[in-house]
Amino acid sequence: MNGPPSDRIVLENVSRFYGEVLGVNRVTLSIPPGITSLVGPNGSGKTTLMNLITGLVRPTRGAIRVLGISPTDPERLFRVCGYATQFDSFPRGMTGYQFIYSYLRLFGMGHEDCVRTTAFAIGRVNLGEAAHRKIAGYSKGMRQRIKLAQAIAHNPRVLILDEPLNGLDPLVRAETIALFREFAGEGRHVIVSSHILHEVDTISDQVILLSNGYVVAEGQIRGVREEMREHPMQVVIRCSRANVLASRVFEQENVVEVRLHADGGGLLVKTRDADRFYRALNHLALDGVGIESVAPADDNVNSLYEYLIGGEESTR
Amino acid sequence: MISQWLTQIGLVVRLEMRKTFFSRRGLWVYLLAAAPVLIFLAHSLSELSERKERRALNAAHPVSTAALRSVTRGMKIEDVVEKVGEPFDKAEFRNPRFSFDMYRYTDGESVFQFQFRNGELVGINERDRDTIPKDSLIFAGIFQFFYLRLAIFFGCVGVFTNLFRGEMLDKSLHFYLLTPVRREILAIGKYLAGLIATVAIFCTSTFLQLFALSLHFDGSEISEYLAGPGWGHVAAYIGVTAAACLGYGSIFLAAGLLFKNPIIPAATVLVWEGINMFLPVTLKKISVIFYLQSLSPVVAPPDANMPALQKLLVTAAEPVPAAWAIAGLLAVTALILAVAARKARKLEINYSTD
Repeated sequence: MNGPPSDRIVLENVSRFYGEVLGVNRVTLSIPPGITSLVGPNGSGKTTLMNLITGLVRPTRGAIRVLGISPTDPERLFRVCGYATQFDSFPRGMTGYQFIYSYLRLFGMGHEDCVRTTAFAIGRVNLGEAAHRKIAGYSKGMRQRIKLAQAIAHNPRVLILDEPLNGLDPLVRAETIALFREFAGEGRHVIVSSHILHEVDTISDQVILLSNGYVVAEGQIRGVREEMREHPMQVVIRCSRANVLASRVFEQENVVEVRLHADGGGLLVKTRDADRFYRALNHLALDGVGIESVAPADDNVNSLYEYLIGGEESTR
Repeated sequence: MISQWLTQIGLVVRLEMRKTFFSRRGLWVYLLAAAPVLIFLAHSLSELSERKERRALNAAHPVSTAALRSVTRGMKIEDVVEKVGEPFDKAEFRNPRFSFDMYRYTDGESVFQFQFRNGELVGINERDRDTIPKDSLIFAGIFQFFYLRLAIFFGCVGVFTNLFRGEMLDKSLHFYLLTPVRREILAIGKYLAGLIATVAIFCTSTFLQLFALSLHFDGSEISEYLAGPGWGHVAAYIGVTAAACLGYGSIFLAAGLLFKNPIIPAATVLVWEGINMFLPVTLKKISVIFYLQSLSPVVAPPDANMPALQKLLVTAAEPVPAAWAIAGLLAVTALILAVAARKARKLEINYSTD
């Protein structure tokens, strides 16, 4: 993951305040290629972070480089970067086709290239039939798709998408996710924000968790989880003689809680050191305890989110 | 690089033109431009109608211009009637101390009003038919007092402040900010689009005003005027109109970038332009109206009947030569555009607070 700096999106101690209101604070990130999800509740700073990366807002402090390019240089930045914003407004009176065509013309493309590229981009988001209708008459999902078409139209190396899956039906959502994967598979950056956790859980190479303008965790989902030693990890074990196993497990130093499943066919273990627990489990499961499965119960974004965001909020 | 910038400016202009020309929000700009055309058209139609009426009255009560001009103060009613016949209209007022009579005549062009006190002519009012020199002064007054200072001024407020601020309100400005276009290029492109729109709207209006005003003159009078200073005046008025759009446009483009509420800068500039004649020479030059007045082809108005305040407002205190006026206006415009471009470079999208 440690590519050269020009392959990364780098934020160094970036803060942005809106008057006295905090947007993001002291954010330091080095984002590698692949799908990166920004996760956090409303007001956590996801959109601000994306706007900072694309130069739509300027940092109060700190520095940002996108593949080595400063966001204050839109002339270079937007040749490598496409951004589908959360803003749901479009230039008045434009059709979907005109929207993409005009956008591409501003890149300096000739008419023929623009026509071809526009048709291709619109085709990729399956909006071909509606292309010549006015955007004002589009559904929410269609507007999301035309924004996505705009962001990918010039084949950028960095794709930034603010809540891109909002308003999409399941089929289109699957197609869109496939598109993200295709982009990421080609070694590009795809940065996605979402509050629909199960979506980013399944598509992300890494997550950045935000709360109240701060990055509270970043990295691969498992990696983030393991860095948080002080937070017990939950492991679900399905086995025979669960009560026997429970008593043995509870004697381990790293185990802080054990709960038997209601059906008596398994238990939920909370441990402070998953690695040690897994090693010990091989010995504990001897003597007639038949283990059917062992699985982390919370090794996903949702549980992290609940812990990091929900936990913080619940303690406020 | 420069050719790419020029291409991008051209594209921004094309994209903006439709919005600027056909925006529902800009409807009142057309009304502002149309208002003086309608005023002059109404004036011409009224003048044509009155002239027709005067000619009919003259046919019923024939009298020559020479005969009417030979009537002098001190003449008795009977002498006047003997000389020029019965009036087409008369009014009288009687009381125990004096009598007052008013007789109205027309030679088909002008109306003469004779006022008699106790049977003796004490006053002669001659309402001349409109002439081109007379109407050109009226036009100069309206052009400088209403058209430049109010119609074009507020038209430019409407068009140029909306170039950025309107898109902020529509939450659609990010369309441009997501493209590889320098913000300065965007500002210039938008300015040119606004300039083309306002120049087209207001210069067309200026031409139509002059055309409407000319409708009640005979073809021979018009030909004579055009053969003299006429075309020069037409060109100068259209040029001053374009210069006003150029200058005010730059101010309100910058205002749209610098202020959330364009009314405040508009009011400030309106006051500044209004007090221009009271300012020291150096400060006078930091305005648009100073140069526009210097470029206006007819100094308006030497008419003694005009109220003093109006005369003050429409008369340039110290006009400068046309070349200096054009250079000064371009310098002021360039300075303001530089400020606007600088602000555009640091432009942020923050719709929630805009």
